[in-house]
Amino acid sequence: MGLTFDERLTAICARLHDRRIDLILVIHDGAHFIETPNPVMVLSGFKSLGPAICLLDRAGATTLIVAPAWDTGRAQALCPKARVIGTDDVVDGLAAALPKSGKATIGTAGLAVAPFGLAQRIVDLVPDAVAADDIVFDAAARKTHDEIAWAREATRIAELDYQHLLEVARPGMSEDELATEIRWHSKSLGAEDNFVLLCASPHNRAVAPSNGRHVRDGDIILAEITPSYCGQLVQICRTIVVGPAPDLLRRKYALVVEAMNAGIAAAIPGARMADVCGAVNAVLEQQGYGEYCHPPHIRRRGHGLGFASMRPGDVALDNATVLEPGMVFMIHPNQYLPETGYLLCGEPVLVTETRAEPLTHRQAALAELR
Amino acid sequence: MFTMHPTLLVGPADWDAVRMPKDEFLGRIAAFWRACDPEISAAIVYGDARSHSELAYLTHFTPKLEPAIALIGRTGAPRLLVGGGVNMLAAARPLTWIEDLLPLRDAGATVTRWRTELGSQALALLNGDAMPFGLRQSIATTLGTPTDMTETVAAAMRRKSGREVALMREACATLDAVIAAMRAAQSAARGMTDVVLAGERLAHQRGAQDVRSLFGRDGTLAPFRVPIAMPADPLQVYVAVRHGGYWAEGFAVLSGSAPPAAAKARAVLDEVLDLAKPGTPHRELARHVAAKIGAACRHPVIRDTFGGSIGLGLPQPGCLAETGDGRFAPGETYTVRVGLTDSAGSAMVSAMVAITGSGHDVLWAGGDS
Repeated sequence: MGLTFDERLTAICARLHDRRIDLILVIHDGAHFIETPNPVMVLSGFKSLGPAICLLDRAGATTLIVAPAWDTGRAQALCPKARVIGTDDVVDGLAAALPKSGKATIGTAGLAVAPFGLAQRIVDLVPDAVAADDIVFDAAARKTHDEIAWAREATRIAELDYQHLLEVARPGMSEDELATEIRWHSKSLGAEDNFVLLCASPHNRAVAPSNGRHVRDGDIILAEITPSYCGQLVQICRTIVVGPAPDLLRRKYALVVEAMNAGIAAAIPGARMADVCGAVNAVLEQQGYGEYCHPPHIRRRGHGLGFASMRPGDVALDNATVLEPGMVFMIHPNQYLPETGYLLCGEPVLVTETRAEPLTHRQAALAELR
Repeated sequence: MFTMHPTLLVGPADWDAVRMPKDEFLGRIAAFWRACDPEISAAIVYGDARSHSELAYLTHFTPKLEPAIALIGRTGAPRLLVGGGVNMLAAARPLTWIEDLLPLRDAGATVTRWRTELGSQALALLNGDAMPFGLRQSIATTLGTPTDMTETVAAAMRRKSGREVALMREACATLDAVIAAMRAAQSAARGMTDVVLAGERLAHQRGAQDVRSLFGRDGTLAPFRVPIAMPADPLQVYVAVRHGGYWAEGFAVLSGSAPPAAAKARAVLDEVLDLAKPGTPHRELARHVAAKIGAACRHPVIRDTFGGSIGLGLPQPGCLAETGDGRFAPGETYTVRVGLTDSAGSAMVSAMVAITGSGHDVLWAGGDS
């Protein structure tokens, strides 16, 4: 159900041809923010330390410009088919690498979210370039065979991280301590990074970055555990009660799991992302929580996964993206309920030929710290 | 120094009013306004997870996830716009002394309303080059072109207060402990990745806000990608530790023996540290290092920049360089790096110093013991 990396590049080249673009120039600043798709990784697979630019022409030739210059060897080893230019200033490197004729039609991706100081210099260099982010990111909606394998490994690590969290968490620890412990644990298992969004409160309004607050009896710990393995992010969303869970909380959590399962069942090839969101919402609306199915309580019921691309995008009512085999994304109801506060519940799924396959071996269930 | 930037900053970043009182921040802001054109009466300070030194300097806030913008007027209470919506504000509040927190939504319109409230036309912008291109364009559309005052604050940030130096000493103590833990793990014949993780774990256990590592054999450095079980001796490491907002960084060669390249680099470092004293031009130290190493033996990682000012941010290229135009001054803190590669091998070593009235204090001696 996946594709090869070369097939992805071929698809991008075909769209360049269709749009009469000779060359696409993509940029990433090396700040690997989870909400900012990385077009350099789409075209090269390279996760950079600093700013990086990748050029792909219609014929499929790739040039990777990386900073700092001393990181060139790593780039060459990871991207053997690309021409790699190491430089301490990627815009200078770009100027040297661009076609000299000046007549090429150039498309760009990643420019709008690149830092101004970098992006403005590129705009000055190629003032007539046109935005073509869609060409790059659409092609990355379906994962490669490698990315699917990495997603499975990242999921394995995420589940072990969660087990570790259950083992080490105790009242008196700060949210920060727990988050750093899980991040470290994840790395010890082979993940190069982990987006650990973790917080605790008796009544959470949302899941937020950790701070110095100390966990107390009666808290509900929310954890988005999101390891990255070889650059492929996967997430699990879990909820833990410090102490025995009240019956009301158990019932409400079961409702959220039911909503998630409705979403997973709806995520079949040919369905739209909006349908998945609608299926999740329907379960909650039926129980009278329609008001809480919209902002500010909830913005989306999941999202694409991977540094390489956030396609197929958000699990949201306004996302008409049609699901295809090979897509990997999160389904997480992550619902605020007035009786319990915010509850996290979510699984990564792979769209197969027939269904959405949860990548996890154990589905989210309300856990208790005794 | 570039390291692999994490997707989320997860370490402790709460504001500690005892260690860094509000008055210290108010003093910094007052100094900023004294340095500004009197026509300018409002400042926009941008920060994101990667680039937020100026924001942290004035507000203590570390944007762990989404960007933040501080709006600081000559009069009135400052405001902090925090990314992520209204539900993120509670989590952000412990990270700053600023009391007026708002969601960072529709930043252009919010800043425009604020400027109108202040009755200010002229604006200053700090760290605007780090703003996403689209956001900066939207601000320019609604507010024109603010005056870039980033360098004014950067200059002030180079001179550390006693409280700042105290935090940097703690960061250096953690760095020292981290390198020692890595040496111990290497002595136990553990694999390369395990050696590095032993150090990282200790950093977290000591309350580090962040820790970044690069490592490799044969004089190379690379970030963690997948575990490497093979031991290495010598093992070159670079470690950056952040504590209470302040960074300490160090290069070290881990080995059970005494690699000649490391000994030579260490000797050069010890010699040039004497030049780290008030009034000495940066380029003098850099030229001295370059001469000692020789053009053919420069290490690619430390090719042109032999260190720089360090504190709320890691050093940027160009400070301790042969073309550098600054001078050492009391109160400043530096990392000094020496790297070489020759027939005897490759090595990079470093130290950190605080410039005093007559010389320097060593903050981190290189982790050799």
